[in-house]
Amino acid sequence: MRAALVLAAAAVVLTGCAKAEAPTATANPADAQAQQQVVKSPSAPAGGGCTIAQHGSPKFDLKSAVVGFSQSEKEANPFRIAETKSIKDEAAKLGIANLKVTNAQSQFSKQISDVQQLIAQGAQLLVIAPLNSDGWEPVLQQAAAKKVPIITIDRKINARHCADYVTFIGSDFTEQGRRAADQMIEALGGKGKVAILLGAPGNNVTTERTNGFKEQIAAKAPDIEITFEQTGEFTREKGQQVTEQLIQSNPDIDGIYAENDEMALGAVTALKGAGKKPGDVKIVSIDGTRGAVQGIVDGWIYAVIESNPRFGQLAFATAQKFLDGEPIPEKVIIEDREYDSANAKDSLGQAY
Amino acid sequence: MAEPARGRIAWFQEYGVYAAVGVLLLFNAAFTPHFLALDNFRTQLVQVAPIVIVALGMALVIGTEGIDLSVGSVMALSASVIALYLGYGAAPAILMAVLAGALVGAANGALVAFVGVQPIVATLALLVGVRGLANVLLPQLKEFVNPTLVAIGSDSVAGIPIVVLAAVALTAAVAFVVRRTTFGRQLVAVGGNRAASRLSGLPVRRILLTVYVISGALAAVAGVLATSRLQASDPTSLGLFMELSAITAVVVGGTPLSGGRVRVLGTVMGAVLMQLLQATLIKHNLPQSWTQMAQAVIILAAVYAARERR
Repeated sequence: MRAALVLAAAAVVLTGCAKAEAPTATANPADAQAQQQVVKSPSAPAGGGCTIAQHGSPKFDLKSAVVGFSQSEKEANPFRIAETKSIKDEAAKLGIANLKVTNAQSQFSKQISDVQQLIAQGAQLLVIAPLNSDGWEPVLQQAAAKKVPIITIDRKINARHCADYVTFIGSDFTEQGRRAADQMIEALGGKGKVAILLGAPGNNVTTERTNGFKEQIAAKAPDIEITFEQTGEFTREKGQQVTEQLIQSNPDIDGIYAENDEMALGAVTALKGAGKKPGDVKIVSIDGTRGAVQGIVDGWIYAVIESNPRFGQLAFATAQKFLDGEPIPEKVIIEDREYDSANAKDSLGQAY
Repeated sequence: MAEPARGRIAWFQEYGVYAAVGVLLLFNAAFTPHFLALDNFRTQLVQVAPIVIVALGMALVIGTEGIDLSVGSVMALSASVIALYLGYGAAPAILMAVLAGALVGAANGALVAFVGVQPIVATLALLVGVRGLANVLLPQLKEFVNPTLVAIGSDSVAGIPIVVLAAVALTAAVAFVVRRTTFGRQLVAVGGNRAASRLSGLPVRRILLTVYVISGALAAVAGVLATSRLQASDPTSLGLFMELSAITAVVVGGTPLSGGRVRVLGTVMGAVLMQLLQATLIKHNLPQSWTQMAQAVIILAAVYAARERR
């Protein structure tokens, strides 16, 4: 307790007369509608969807219902910030007064107890951004006992469709990898040496983005050689350090595939430091954060495949359909856009 | 144990880290393409500089039979504070960051010296708390364009990067303090035998407090340099696991965890060894798990050598 007070006091002292650097960019998300997620597949569920009757949940009015949202990671990166904001904004727009939001701070045990708390507080609908895919049994049992429908976003949970959860809404990470490969093939004219900055090891996002990329390169451009793959752990600093090593030992590298934008921006800093010019090494990355899209405008990044974090509209629309008695498919795969030199400048306001 | 064996161990302990660095350099010169380029050495030194600076502070703390787990979080705090104060210019921002680091060090030192908390517990509390504080002050990565700060991270003087010059200067300063000043002697005495130091009238508490303040300030300086190199303040991931890298450098460099001795150059070499090892495995495109296993082997070897000491 005393330590907490000391830290709080320290925070006050440290920020007492703070004055941050004046912001440089003034890009503001202008047309919020244009950035919403679009369903790619399946647009109409083919028979086997989950209806409210099968699930057993009582019907309720979304507006007056208690809705729980459990975020997995702390809102310290653009993706999570945009994701939480989108859920909150959409709830406000729909007039859902009773939205309860929790954040597990990247600790799985905390996320489990968060969701249990939400159920205890009487949540009638749960929207979960899971940190892990496994280990959800305690929550699923409680939710099933109370017949609370669960929608998971951006990551799946391994459980039974309809019995345990209603649907999963998210991107296809393997497809993102394939599309990144297409951009890389275009950038290099189908020939050259490519390095991969891998994401954090042991993460399904890393595995799927890697597999998709390699599959597509092998299938479409056998003349592109992947000569280097090292983890940058999804952080800018590691992305920079690994790229510095890379351009020392492999000066003939033609392209870098970064599995997220932060590592791509780290690679840009490393290339600048090594005296390279924009476009000397073609960079393709995945996410679609504003910094990376600005990187395309500046000529350092060739293309960015979007991983859209704005789940709000689609999540609540799906919930409404479910409540209206429509069958809901097991997976709702969203369509991710891509940014390249043709559209980067105009799309800057839509990047998150 | 037979005399020659004991002699070998002693030699290994004294010069093992230098020998290992030499072996790695030879290996790379022979088998790694473009290793002998000047740019490559510059890259390795620039990357190792923040670790060296943190490890110097850690070596002093370990010399007093303590440990400072909060250093990585202090780097993150330093990054946050810089972002908050950059509006006043680079110098005031850096000053505030180092001050914040010294304050955390003072909190560590007060807990250890006056409250009597075990160093590992006290600094573990601040490892968690200070990272949280850094994230509260600056919730997400923030880029900056301040030309002075960018220059610190990327410019060179006479061909040597400023970041490296800073590490060299601080190494020299710490070496001077340890070898040539009363404070240096006192620090080692406190680590060697605290009871005897107290009985002979040394200001034990003040010495401990000072050592943790130095460690905090050095970690903050490392945070400033790492931030200036990244051209962005990143309190979420900057300095993560830095305490482990620093402790590894100190231990591999031959400073015993039981205190009473500080090896400054050995610590620098310990950091360089780990950096070279990582660079070697990255350049040969081996998986990260190999790096971790190789590091484990080196740490075990160092600990084994230290075990034979007493």
